Amino acid sequence: MIIIKCPYCGERDQSEFSNGGEAHVVRPNNPESLSDKDWGEYVFFRNNPKGIFYERWVHSHGCKKWFNAVRNTSTDEILKIYKLKEKRPEITEFKNCLKSPSGEPKVGSGNFTVKK
Amino acid sequence: MTALRNHNCNYISNVKINFKFDGKSYFAYEGDTIASALLRNNIRLVGRSFKYHRPRGIYTCGIEEPNALVQIISEHNEPNTRATIKRVYDGMVITSQNRWPSLSYDFGAINNILSPIFSAGFYYKTFMGPKGFWKNIYEPLIRRSAGLGKPPKNFRSKSIHQNHNTDILIIGAGLSGLIAARKFVNTKYKVLMIEQDSFLGGILKNSNKVDTINGLNSSEWLEETEKLLSKAQNIKILRNTLVTTYNFTNHFVALEDKFAGKKIDLNKSELTLHKIRTSNTILCNGHIERFISFRNNDLPGVMLASSFEKYIHRYGVVPEERPVIFTNNSSSMSLLNSMLSLGCKPEAYVDSRKNEEIETDIKKILKENNIPSYFEAEIEGCDGNKKIEKITIRKGKIFIKIKSSMLCVSGGYNPDIHLFTQSKGLLKWDKNIASFKPDTPFQKTLTLGSVSGNYNFNKLCDEINEKLSFLNTAKLDFEIKLNVSNKYSIKELWETKSKINSNWSKSFIDLHNDVTIKDLKQAISEGFDRIEHLKRYTTNSMGTDQGKISSINSLAVVSKLLKKEISEVGTTTYRPPYAPLSFAAIAGRSTYEFYDPQRKTSIHSWHLKNNAVFEDVGQWKRPWYFKTHDKETMHQAVQRESKMLRENSGILDGSTLGKIEIKGRDALEFMNLMYTNAFTKMKPMTSRYAMMLGEDGMIKDDGIICKLSDQHFIATTTSSGAPKVLAHMEEYLQTEWPHLQVYLNSITEQFSTFNISGPKTREIMRKVFPNIDFSNEAFPFMSFKNFDYKDTKIRIMRASFTGELGYEIYISPKYGLELWEEMFSCGREFNLIPYGTETMHLLRAEKGYIVIGQETDGTVTPIDLNYNWMIGKNKKDFIGKRSLSRPDTSREDRKQLVGLSPINKTDTIEEGQHIVELNELPKKIKNPIKYLGHVSSGYYSPNLNHSIGLAMIRGGKNLLGKKFFVTVSGKTKNIPVEVVNPVFVDPENKRLIS
Repeated sequence: MIIIKCPYCGERDQSEFSNGGEAHVVRPNNPESLSDKDWGEYVFFRNNPKGIFYERWVHSHGCKKWFNAVRNTSTDEILKIYKLKEKRPEITEFKNCLKSPSGEPKVGSGNFTVKK
Repeated sequence: MTALRNHNCNYISNVKINFKFDGKSYFAYEGDTIASALLRNNIRLVGRSFKYHRPRGIYTCGIEEPNALVQIISEHNEPNTRATIKRVYDGMVITSQNRWPSLSYDFGAINNILSPIFSAGFYYKTFMGPKGFWKNIYEPLIRRSAGLGKPPKNFRSKSIHQNHNTDILIIGAGLSGLIAARKFVNTKYKVLMIEQDSFLGGILKNSNKVDTINGLNSSEWLEETEKLLSKAQNIKILRNTLVTTYNFTNHFVALEDKFAGKKIDLNKSELTLHKIRTSNTILCNGHIERFISFRNNDLPGVMLASSFEKYIHRYGVVPEERPVIFTNNSSSMSLLNSMLSLGCKPEAYVDSRKNEEIETDIKKILKENNIPSYFEAEIEGCDGNKKIEKITIRKGKIFIKIKSSMLCVSGGYNPDIHLFTQSKGLLKWDKNIASFKPDTPFQKTLTLGSVSGNYNFNKLCDEINEKLSFLNTAKLDFEIKLNVSNKYSIKELWETKSKINSNWSKSFIDLHNDVTIKDLKQAISEGFDRIEHLKRYTTNSMGTDQGKISSINSLAVVSKLLKKEISEVGTTTYRPPYAPLSFAAIAGRSTYEFYDPQRKTSIHSWHLKNNAVFEDVGQWKRPWYFKTHDKETMHQAVQRESKMLRENSGILDGSTLGKIEIKGRDALEFMNLMYTNAFTKMKPMTSRYAMMLGEDGMIKDDGIICKLSDQHFIATTTSSGAPKVLAHMEEYLQTEWPHLQVYLNSITEQFSTFNISGPKTREIMRKVFPNIDFSNEAFPFMSFKNFDYKDTKIRIMRASFTGELGYEIYISPKYGLELWEEMFSCGREFNLIPYGTETMHLLRAEKGYIVIGQETDGTVTPIDLNYNWMIGKNKKDFIGKRSLSRPDTSREDRKQLVGLSPINKTDTIEEGQHIVELNELPKKIKNPIKYLGHVSSGYYSPNLNHSIGLAMIRGGKNLLGKKFFVTVSGKTKNIPVEVVNPVFVDPENKRLIS
């Protein structure tokens, strides 16, 4: 169980939070003018990378506030947490992480146990 | 072959106690484990193996035990208890497992004779047919003959959970753990130290390797250290506690046995599950000895060498005076010393290393004491009936037979890397110790002492000082003097060759699951050459011991077979738990009535008094139906309630309906976006049935929306959907439309809600509220008003879910019961009845009203239900609007809501049945049968006097009047039905607006 630092309440156990999927997917302003394909993209398609992922969380058993997080999905490390109003951090901020899609990180993915 | 007592052992008291094993009484000393007590009584045979039912004895002296699993009868039948850990108390009753009729004469041992056919993958290749045999014959048979103990019974655990937050967690209070802990005495760090045994000291109490520390003998040093640690305010020690799990972000799970060595007091919590968060972790959990495979290496009497020594020092019992020692490393010198100091002389000493590789002090002791020694030799195998009788030594081409009843084996030490790898740290193969050791940690994890692969006592303090230097604690230096040589040397040896080439000759690689070296070879030859596949195919190291003494051996054997380096083969993934922990501990207090909170309405006590049968809706307890007398069945009650309501009047406790208050400057705009309906032109103080969709256009929830003003709405939701709807609204408000000024509040529990309906309702309402005008003109359908009632306010809304004239009353729960009773006293002359959810469902089905989750299943749009009138087509946008015009959602042949009426009026339409075109299903179905849809609701209507159904049928809208068939469960003959309008009762809504 990971620790998540709610930007409003501080560090809490993961069990207090719910994951809201990919972040920065904006609901189109004028859905009626969108083609079926474009609307379908918005409703049904999300990225699912191995490596750096921008995602939404909500402190559902707490302040109920939504916020964004950058997480390395292969190691579960949370690299940054920011409020909805704050700017999306550039991927270059996370230099020490493998970029997505990535290979195996050197340690922490759990996919192998012996050092290569 | 008798066991002796080591009187120098201080960890065992002199108090004699009694316990029973397989019906016979034995003695033990206080502090004994089941295993040490049995050894004391010269009991070697304690169980039967998993698959072949081979006789098995005590193999180890700790958590790693693969064989000696017993059932504790005196503790609610607790099965699979490791005899090597569980401590004995007076009056304990124990039995052996997996044998019938007795341990000594086990019928299942026939499996051993049949063993050549039970090789790896046996179950996957056999029992393939005929159909139905697996479930009814093979599986019950296999379950009976293979396996472990029987499940516990009649026991309600009182285990609890406890949370810790600490700076430093030290796992293992052995020599290195204690030195590390001493560095933290009275520092700013909060330290938690966990030890699985009831005593601190590890190697200091398990062997006589260490002579003195700083001039103190080891027990004096231990005493000094314990005093120091217990005085320190910042250090807490948990004994009898086993760390089972090392999770992300330094989160641990540890299990404390509160009744170790005592009879469980059923009034107290017997286990505590500790959940620990720490900033830094120090692993000092030591090493585990591994075995060597040879022919019959599972016979009772074979024991790991260091375990034998642990029994001498920790439990004060010498299991056998004259055992044979078989080793490939230098560690057995300590055992030699221990035995000789007690005047016992090993029968023989067998070392696989060459003469020049063996330490001179070992050779010296052997010579001085005239112990028959065989260098560059190995154990070929041993023989005997349910115990070792003869041991065969191979030296070159010569075989030497020795009579002895015990054999101490040492295949070397493995650092106990289990927790380190759970934390996702990486390992590395170390040739010097011929084992894996921790290399790169993933979390803030340190390893000290033998778990880090450091078997050198002289370097221990340097290692600890260096690794902990980042914490700026004082340096500590202890001069550790040993009774044995400090150098650890080992020569790889994993298996010895059997001279007998027979199908029945067995050399085990996993004792717990009865996996032999032959099984590994066979699995590889069948193509399972990846270690993770091989493990699952052979079940190697998949027992409750997780292959603690054998998994590295199997990696080595496999790497030799594959002609690869062992580091290339890799290890299988180590997953929590480190050792089995009971479900009772994990569940803690969340069992039975504490499993899930129950929500009860303010009328609950009245329901109880009036024989309500309850239904769980989410966490709510809702009356399902009311019994007028004991013998009334559910069907009878529901038929009665339904008929009475349509004739007179009935009242339902609807307090469980979710209620959400929506307030703010932009409330109207927000509601227009959240629901399909148009609220702009809606008049204040009116209400509307509304639908909420997902972005995919599918129905999420429904309810009645009350509009007080453009800035104030109250939405009702389904009983179980309330939290989801609120979260859904909150999400859009925060993430998509933060510019809208709207506030949401759950007010479900702020109101008790009654739904009263039926033709006589108006008269009852007039009697209860004489000052209110309930005429159609003053109080039309779908309007609501607020009134003063005593010193509170009530809201009454004209609405109905039954199709009859109806009102909903909202009142503070404080006055709920009072008003409810008032309504019954006024309603008595009008035959007012209470009704439950089942009658509500029946009546709404008669009226063709849908229920979320019954007619809908997440793939249904409002258009599929013919609810086009609910869609605000002129609204620019609402959630799900765009999806309603997607090609798939606007298909003509989607499943659509229709009513079903049986052609033969005595037939019953069952819920969940299929709708087909065939009047009879073939006995054997060869080709798929055309499927038209399913029955979503089916009831017997007491008002129409026949069965009715609501159904979702492909293209149903255009099929009115068509004849189809509905399947019947367990039968091939289908019943003919006609597709009709789903509104069976009062299609003109005359009653509703009467």
